[in-house]
This record gives sequence, structure tokens and C-alpha cells, in this order.
Amino acid sequence: MRRLGRYWWIILLLFIALYPPTLGGMSAYKSGVLIFVGIYIILAVSLDLLMGFAGQISVGHAAFFAIGAYVSGILTAKYGASPVLALIAGMALSGAVAWGVGRPVLALKEYYLAMATLALNEIIVTLIIGLQWLTGGASGLRDVPAFSVPGFSFDNHVHYYYLVWAMVLLVVGSSVAVARSPFGRTLIAIHSDETAAKTFGIDCARYKVRAYVLSACYASLAGSLFAHYMGFLAPDDFGVMTSINILVMLYLGGIGTIYGPALGAVFLKLLPEFTYQFQDYELLMNGIILIVVLVFMPRGLFGILTGIKERVFARSAR
Amino acid sequence: MNEFSTLVQFFFSGLTSGSVYALIAVSLVIVYKVSLLICFAQGEFFVIGALTMVTLTSKGLPMPLAFACSVLISAAVGALVERFLIRPIRDASVGSLIVMTIAISLALRGLALLIWGKESKILPPFSAGKPIGVFGATLQPQVLWIIGITILVLLVIWLFFEKTTMGVAMRACAENRLGASLMGISTEKAAFLSWAWGSGIGALAGMAVAPLLFMQYSSGVMPMVKGFIAMSVGGLASIVGAVVAGYLLGVVEAYTIGLISSQFSDTIVFTLLIIVLIFKPSGLFGATRSREV
Repeated sequence: MRRLGRYWWIILLLFIALYPPTLGGMSAYKSGVLIFVGIYIILAVSLDLLMGFAGQISVGHAAFFAIGAYVSGILTAKYGASPVLALIAGMALSGAVAWGVGRPVLALKEYYLAMATLALNEIIVTLIIGLQWLTGGASGLRDVPAFSVPGFSFDNHVHYYYLVWAMVLLVVGSSVAVARSPFGRTLIAIHSDETAAKTFGIDCARYKVRAYVLSACYASLAGSLFAHYMGFLAPDDFGVMTSINILVMLYLGGIGTIYGPALGAVFLKLLPEFTYQFQDYELLMNGIILIVVLVFMPRGLFGILTGIKERVFARSAR
Repeated sequence: MNEFSTLVQFFFSGLTSGSVYALIAVSLVIVYKVSLLICFAQGEFFVIGALTMVTLTSKGLPMPLAFACSVLISAAVGALVERFLIRPIRDASVGSLIVMTIAISLALRGLALLIWGKESKILPPFSAGKPIGVFGATLQPQVLWIIGITILVLLVIWLFFEKTTMGVAMRACAENRLGASLMGISTEKAAFLSWAWGSGIGALAGMAVAPLLFMQYSSGVMPMVKGFIAMSVGGLASIVGAVVAGYLLGVVEAYTIGLISSQFSDTIVFTLLIIVLIFKPSGLFGATRSREV
């Protein structure tokens, strides 16, 4: 049992690698669902770096998701740029926006910060709708090509599945590394007591902005992956509701644990697949699930899993 | 229509949306002052109030009775939400509380979807009558109703918080929770009542504009966001500030749409919000903070 606990990630990797040829049956639909799951894992984990570690509330994370998606979409569909370069350009722009607004906005606290990030999200969405000549406006941006690197095109669903999940592993792995690094520990220190952190000579504002930039770059990466998979972008997918959904994943899975938000994303994105015949109930159900989690299990799904694990290990050690 | 009457017309549309923003901002402020919580579900009460009234009037209930019932039903829903969903996690972090009110808004919106379906509904005007001409601009009679209701609500709030024992007790909680509880005031009861007031007023805003606006289960998001803006600009905890900021926002927005750009009006409004939050976090009327309801 203990051995299983230590090597769970090998089992997980094998499952991800073997899913399409076995259970997924190479079907476009099944790999498509898991591509969305992967994209949302990246979004949830990136927000966890900002909220769970640096302790900065954001109700506008979809702003950077939007920037990534639209930079990739516009550069490849309209100007024929290489998808890799477009992806990097999206991350650069997202990072630059986060860096530019980060210092003044992150100086705000609690509700003010929530309001300002929400406003940032609305600004990006209204700009996308308004700048019709560039973004296609409310009717959307068409004909985003498949992702490709020189010499290879990911135009097949299964290929794209592997690309997305490779990125998921990269983002989750690097986020865990960041969380354990001195940088991550400094963020936790700022989160638990900013005044105390300042007394130790930590430049809190600079650390918060760095966390914001990193988080924005990851969200932008998710946006680029989304754009090339969908082939079509509409502003509706990037509104405050999307930001709120990411927030829900964080609290559902267990904020501040990296794995928890990833689990929350998996849960929330897979749930509709099992309840599609009750589509009208989805909104109510999401609300109720989240209420139950907040009231009865504040550590989220991941907290429950680690609780079970600890209990099992305590028994096997005896 | 000449230049001047166009400007008057924009002013009227600014007053209309301004009333809605002012009412929602006031409902947010009342909840915030007494229970130190910003409710992201306030837009849902806006929708529930309006749609309940649509249903009741279509069932043949006379307008005034339907009006009163809808306000009371919405207020009861708000109070129950506070009692059974907010109170159990009263001491959680601000982040959890924000997410809790978001969860409540998802659940209420989902409930509205199940009850009223996806189609948009509109209410008949409160009184029949032709549009009134003022300086060449036209004024819908419903706009007078909206402004009248807003004034009446503000008057009732003032009377309640200034003249009744219960209202004074709630103000005491807003001022100093510990002190109030030492004087034998139940802060829990005050929070309960503040939610009833907040959701009732939010519902009133929705009902007042329901004859001008098509409403559906998801119509509450934008009015709520605009209410937040008015609340922040007004200084978060000031009812007077919220009202002034609500009307200011409505008028500024109407002139931005009319004179500058209809496409970018929201971009401009939200940019202004961020600027106000950064440079004047106590709100534009922060100086009047010591003297408020």
C-alpha cells in the first residue's frame, strides 16, 4: 500500500499515455473531452500559484486565457505566423500586461482586488468585442489553423491530446517545483503575514508581481492551446463566468495544493459528461456542489484524498 | 431632434440605468456594512424579483399585490440564504466567503433557469400612458416610476435606520460589532436582516426596470457588476456615496455611449473603475465617510 502511494504518479502517467489507444479507442470525442480537461488543469494550477500561494484573489483570470488565445488565433489565422512563435508572443504579451498592471493592482486587498481583477477581465473582453477588424468581434475569429512545429502538424486529435497533456505535466511539474523553491516559500510567507514578511526585508510587491506574471504566462499557454484546438474563438468563452469557473475548480479541489485545483478541473470538466441528459440542472448542481464543499470540506477534494491516504497508511503501519 | 434634445435624451437614459445601479449599490452596501461581506449573488435577486413579478402578474394578480409579494419573496430568499449558507462559514477567509457568494449565485441562477426556462420575459408597464415630451426628448412614464421607486426606497431606508430601534441596532453593528454585541444586540440577527433588506432592494431594482428590459435567468450579471462599480466609487460603506456614484455612473455611461463610443463604453467605465480603486481607494466620496447612514 505504501509503495502504491509513492508511485501513484507512474500509474497516472501510464494512464495518460495509454488512454487514447485503449479506453478512448482513438475517438475524436473522447480525446477532445480530455483536451479540455487538460487546458483547464493548466488554468486552475496557474491561478493556484497566484491565489493559493501568493494569496492574491483574482476574479479575472480568463483575461490572460483570452490574450493567449487571441494572440495565437490572430497571428496564425490572419498573418500566417508559426504557431510556436504565436504562442510565445501570447505569453510575452500576457506577461507584459500582468507586469504592467501588477504593481498598482496587487497593492489592493481583498474585495478591492477582486473588483479590479474582474474589471481587467471585462476590459479585455470588451476590447475583443470592440476591435472587430482585428478580432472578429462578437461574431468570432474563424479559421485558426492546427498547431504545428516545423516538420510536424498536430492536426490529429490524438496527437493534440499528447501535446496538451505534455504541457499539463510541464505546467504542473514546474508549479510544484516553484511552490517548493525559496520563491514559493517566500510567497507563502507573504500570504500568511505580509507585514512580518516585510520586516524580514522581503520586497512583497515585487514577489507578488512575479507570481502574477508567471500565472498569466501559464494561463496564456492554455489560451493558445485552446485556440488551436477549437479553430474558432468567440468572446463568450473568456468572460467573467470563465474566471469564476476556474475559481470554483480551485476551491473544489483544495486551494494552495497544486494537485487539488488540477483535481477540481478534472471533476468539474468531466461531470457534465455523465450528466448531459440533465443539462439544465448543471448550473444548480455546480452551485450546490461548491456550497457543500465550502461548508463541509474546506480543504477540498484533495484534502479528503490525503485524509484517506493518511488513515490507510496509519493502519498499514500498525 | 436637435443637439440639445439629444443631450437631454442621453440624460434620461442615464437616469434610468443610474437608478438601477444606485439601488443595487445600496443593497450591496447594506449587506457589507452590517455583515462585512460583499455578496456576488446580488444580481440574482435582481432577476428573481423581476421574474417572480412577471409570473405573478401573468397569473392575474393585481400589479400592486404582485409587486409587494415579489419583494417579500426575494427578501425571504435572501434571509434564508444568510441563515443557512453564510452563517455556517462566518469565520472563513475573505477568499472563501467570496467564493461562497459566487456558489450561491450559481445555485440561484440554476434554480431560476429551472423555474423560468431560457426565454426572455418582459413585464407590462406599471401604468398606461404615452411617452412625455421634454425639450424635444421623449420620456417613458416607466422611467418616472423607476425614479419614484428609488426615492421611496431611499426614504424608507433612512426612516428605518434612523428612526426604528432595530435600524439603530443594525447601525451599531456596522459601527462596532463587539461593542454592539456587548450592548445585547444580536449581530447574527442584524446580518440576517441586512440580507433581507439587501435582497429585497436588489429585487426592487429588477422589478422597476422589468417593463423596459427583457429578463432571463442570466440577466443579473451585468447590473451586479455595475452595482459593484458604483459601490466602490462611493467608498464601499456609504449609502449616500453609493447613490451618488450610481447615478454618476449611469449618466457618464449614457454620454459615453452617445457621444464617444457605444462599443468601448464598458472598456472606458471599467478602466475608470481600476483608476479610482488605485488612486482613491476610499471612493470619490471618501471624505464624507464619518457622516453617513
